[in-house]
Amino acid sequence: MEALLPRFRAAHTQVLGVSVDSVYSHANWARSLGGISFPLLSDFEPKGAVARSYGVYLEKPGITDRATVIIDSGGTVRHGSSVTPAGKRDIEELAALCEQVARESGSRTLAFAEAEGLGSDAVLYVKSHCGFSRAAQLAVDNLHATGLTVKNVSDDARALEELRAASGNETAPCLVLRGTAVPESPVIVRTLADRLAPVT
Amino acid sequence: MIATGTPAPGFSLQDQFGRTISLADFRDRRHVLLLFYPLDWTPT
Repeated sequence: MEALLPRFRAAHTQVLGVSVDSVYSHANWARSLGGISFPLLSDFEPKGAVARSYGVYLEKPGITDRATVIIDSGGTVRHGSSVTPAGKRDIEELAALCEQVARESGSRTLAFAEAEGLGSDAVLYVKSHCGFSRAAQLAVDNLHATGLTVKNVSDDARALEELRAASGNETAPCLVLRGTAVPESPVIVRTLADRLAPVT
Repeated sequence: MIATGTPAPGFSLQDQFGRTISLADFRDRRHVLLLFYPLDWTPT
C-alpha cells in the first residue's frame, strides 16, 4: 500500500485505514509493517461505530470485515467490496478503480501539495527508557523520516548541552526545528506528521 | 455493505499521529479510499 501511495495521490485520492484498535496500538502495528504514513483511524469509541455505519461490522466475531469503500469528493459512495477478514486486498486493482473514479467524477478535487518537510537542520532529542521519546521515535519510523537527526541525551553529554542551548532546559523529547524548540511528545508527533504527511 | 451511489456516512476519528480526521475534510478536495481492517497486526 505504502509503495503505491504516489499513484493514489496522482488520482487525487486520500487513503485512510480504519480499525477498532487504539491509536497507540496503531502506531506500533504500523511500524511493524515497515512504517505507515497514511492515516490509520481508530474506530474505537464506541467500538466499530463507523464500520457499522458502512455495513461492514461483523457482529458475531465482533470484528470489522476486510472491506474497501471508495468515496468521491462529492461525498458519494462509488465502490464497496469485501475480501472477507481472512482475504487479501488487490491494491493494484484498487489503484485502477480510484483512477477510474478520478477520470469519471464530475466533482471538484485539488491536487496534493508538496509536503513542507523538516529542513536539513532539524534534530529530535530523546532519552532512554522514556515512553514519550518512544512515541516520538515511532512517528519518525512511520513517516520514514530517515533524514531527521535523532540524538539521545541520556548517553551523549554534548547533545544534552545542545538541547539546553536550544530549549532553555533539559526536557526530552524535544524537536528543534529551524532553531525553534517544540516540546511535548503529542505536539512533536503531530508536527512531524503535518510536515511530512499532510492530509489536507 | 453500503450501496454504491448513496451518500457516505460522515466520521471524525483519531489517526496514529493523534490528528482528528473527518470525512468532511475531503469534501470538494479529494476522493477517499477507505480500507477497513479486521484487527491490527493483519496487513493489506
